[in-house]
Amino acid sequence: MAENFIRDSFDALVIGGGIAGGEAALNLANNGFKVILVEKDLSIGGKMIHLSKVFPTLDCSACITTPKVSEISRHPSITILTGSEVKKIVKRGENDFEAMVIKHPRYVREEDCTGCQLCEQACPVVVKDQYQYDMVGRKAAYIPFSIASPRVAAIDIENCTLCGACEKACPTKCIDFTQEATEYQLSLRTVIIATGFNLFDPLKIERFGYGKMKNVITSMQMERLLAPTRPFNTVLRPGDGKMPCRLAYVLCAGSRDITVGNPICSQICCMYSIKQAQLLMGALPMADVTIYYINIRSFGKGFEEFYDQAKGMGVNFVKGKIGMISEKENGDLILRYEDINASVVKEANHDMVILSVGLVSNPDNAAFFDRGELRLDPFNFVCQTDLLASPARTSIDGVFVAGTASGPMDIPDSILSAGAASSEAMSYIIRK
Amino acid sequence: MEEKQGQTYKLLREKREVPESVKENLKKFTRTKKSILEALKEEEMTVRQLSQKLGLPSHELLFYLMTLVKYGSVQTGIIDDMDEYYTYKIKA
Repeated sequence: MAENFIRDSFDALVIGGGIAGGEAALNLANNGFKVILVEKDLSIGGKMIHLSKVFPTLDCSACITTPKVSEISRHPSITILTGSEVKKIVKRGENDFEAMVIKHPRYVREEDCTGCQLCEQACPVVVKDQYQYDMVGRKAAYIPFSIASPRVAAIDIENCTLCGACEKACPTKCIDFTQEATEYQLSLRTVIIATGFNLFDPLKIERFGYGKMKNVITSMQMERLLAPTRPFNTVLRPGDGKMPCRLAYVLCAGSRDITVGNPICSQICCMYSIKQAQLLMGALPMADVTIYYINIRSFGKGFEEFYDQAKGMGVNFVKGKIGMISEKENGDLILRYEDINASVVKEANHDMVILSVGLVSNPDNAAFFDRGELRLDPFNFVCQTDLLASPARTSIDGVFVAGTASGPMDIPDSILSAGAASSEAMSYIIRK
Repeated sequence: MEEKQGQTYKLLREKREVPESVKENLKKFTRTKKSILEALKEEEMTVRQLSQKLGLPSHELLFYLMTLVKYGSVQTGIIDDMDEYYTYKIKA
């Protein structure tokens, strides 16, 4: 149980330190409001910080995210709590909220850690690196990832053998196994929910073989394989380290599929798959890339041209619905699919399959407020009660939603949404 | 505070037992690391060759091998004539 107890007050609580939460926090802080940003993960930056490049410009994702993250981290009006969770929020009146936040122990004094990684070198334990989507190992004493913010070590206590090697190796003596959870009681004037999305779990579609067939991976794993800080030296099959030459994308894996409980379009899968296909054509010049799709939804600015560019580069688009994936002895994969245009069932051989997994809601949203005060939509995203006139408003006056916590959207839309949420939050704070 | 600095793991060890699965995981990694490094001492090898020599599933071997690359014990060698598999060798 929490031993420490800290009481503090802020103008705004922003829940979630991804690109939307960070943008909302910056907007508020730049206008003179005191903000606390609570992030569950060990670093801010959300999912965007882990992407390779962004569509349709193919700009480096980390190059966009890191200056923003750095600005947030250094802003004097923003207090950041990483490795922390909002447990409960109560609205006591207008401009008056109370929140309970738990900061989990990192077992490292953040202010003293220099990020030298000597603890990481000394640690003998290797477990799956969640930031590389389990494709490579990390230590139990570790810096989450190279561009993490804060770039501070953490101890994975669940996998630590308590051998003390990290503590002995630390030159600043900042590792502290006596740390305990800290509880914060916060008084606030407004709240912004920017908890983002979860990726669809492809284990729910057994016929796609994810988990069993090692050369079936998710699009987020491919993002990591294509990123400069990738787990392997190049794009390799996780099954056997072979450089793939016939890659297939399966679109709508967990989206637009009522059988898995997610009938809506995830809005970004078509475009991120087209982006990855283009990057693969660059990384593996001899490779054939095929995208199996139901419809290509290239609805945004520059998206159709981006799609045309992929076709021009030689990406093969097949209008087909995948029935099942089976594996050959050598790890190659057979895709059985319905060719929608020809109305026949066909089979195709590939040596690697990427499931373009959809976006689903973050279940944390339901737990912040008591008695279902925060209304959710039928897909458990935060309900926008006045979608057309005031899209950041929620069912609780003074609580606003930013980014994909309200539904699937791409990065520019998330930033726009964060702008709307921060503006509405400021209006709420200053109105009489 | 000064006295316990650098020794706090001992205090937690008194309160918390390390699960058997964590100890087993450490043993497995140490054993696999040793066998990979010994095999690579003889010659550069691909994931498939290493997998056959050590009797480990190739996906598992790739995981450990890439972890050793990440932490600087092993480095990537050359790609084979078919442009399919890289070799790996002990880092010089």
